[in-house]
Amino acid sequence: MTVAAIASLLGGVLIGFVGQRSRMCFVGGIRDYVLVRDTFLLKGLISFLLVAWIAFPISGMLGGAGVGGFSSPVLSTLLITLLGGFGVGYVSILANGCPFRQHVLAAQGTGDSMVYLAGFLSGAVIFHTVVTPVVGRVLL
Amino acid sequence: MTVTAPPPTRRWRRIRITGLQAGIVLALVGVGLGAFFEVRPPDAYGVCMACHGRDLANSVVNSLFGSRLTVAPAALVFPLLTVVGVVIGAFIAAVVSGEFRWRKPSQPMRSFTYGVVVMNAALLAAACSIRLLLRTAAGDVLGLIGFLAMGVGVVLATMWLRQRALR
Repeated sequence: MTVAAIASLLGGVLIGFVGQRSRMCFVGGIRDYVLVRDTFLLKGLISFLLVAWIAFPISGMLGGAGVGGFSSPVLSTLLITLLGGFGVGYVSILANGCPFRQHVLAAQGTGDSMVYLAGFLSGAVIFHTVVTPVVGRVLL
Repeated sequence: MTVTAPPPTRRWRRIRITGLQAGIVLALVGVGLGAFFEVRPPDAYGVCMACHGRDLANSVVNSLFGSRLTVAPAALVFPLLTVVGVVIGAFIAAVVSGEFRWRKPSQPMRSFTYGVVVMNAALLAAACSIRLLLRTAAGDVLGLIGFLAMGVGVVLATMWLRQRALR
């Protein structure tokens, strides 16, 4: 398990570096295309999807841990996924970038993104102390 | 006097990476971490800014206050440090390329609220925008549904912003 921590730290450094040099953003691609038909970031989005789609089976063949066993959607998970996905997209545009982009912006000195990150991390604690019990009571 | 070209060692400092290349690197890191470096279960958990941030924040809170907030199985023993790594990597890139610049927060309350709302939405869907794509690629129907919902949200918000700007 410590392997996971070290590997995720190093992998994070790599993708952080790449993300800063490329201004990669996972909602910005769609936004730029809708606004000005710019496909720079949209290509990143599509290449991410395609490469991951090919790399999952290949990593399985190379002896990596396979994926599978995802639970099929039922009404409650469908609803919260729809709501959550929509919320991520809509509010990320208002906040001017997806979570990944906000981390990169905070690291290059943007104060607004640093405040965003503070809200982001405290949002996790809020979610598990306040939102989860409420959602659980409504849906289950 | 002749004008000398800048020394060649400088050039790598302003290295440019296209969005396409960035997508490829991110996908390989995301798949590789999950498949070969024990960043699992759950499946397709290699890179996720929201979930890994949640694991980090909740682990810290748990160890400080002895609470029992949810932490993914992959982060039970020691929290995942992707979030820290991304900040370090982006900071190195920004300093090396000379793009680091302090900007005072212009609307702190609003940014903080956005952060809280995005994190809660992402945890409802159990994925941030990156992991939604990763789950879609791994064959998760819910991931695809969440990604489509995110696309709808992005398009609506963009159109709303454009309408507001034109008015």
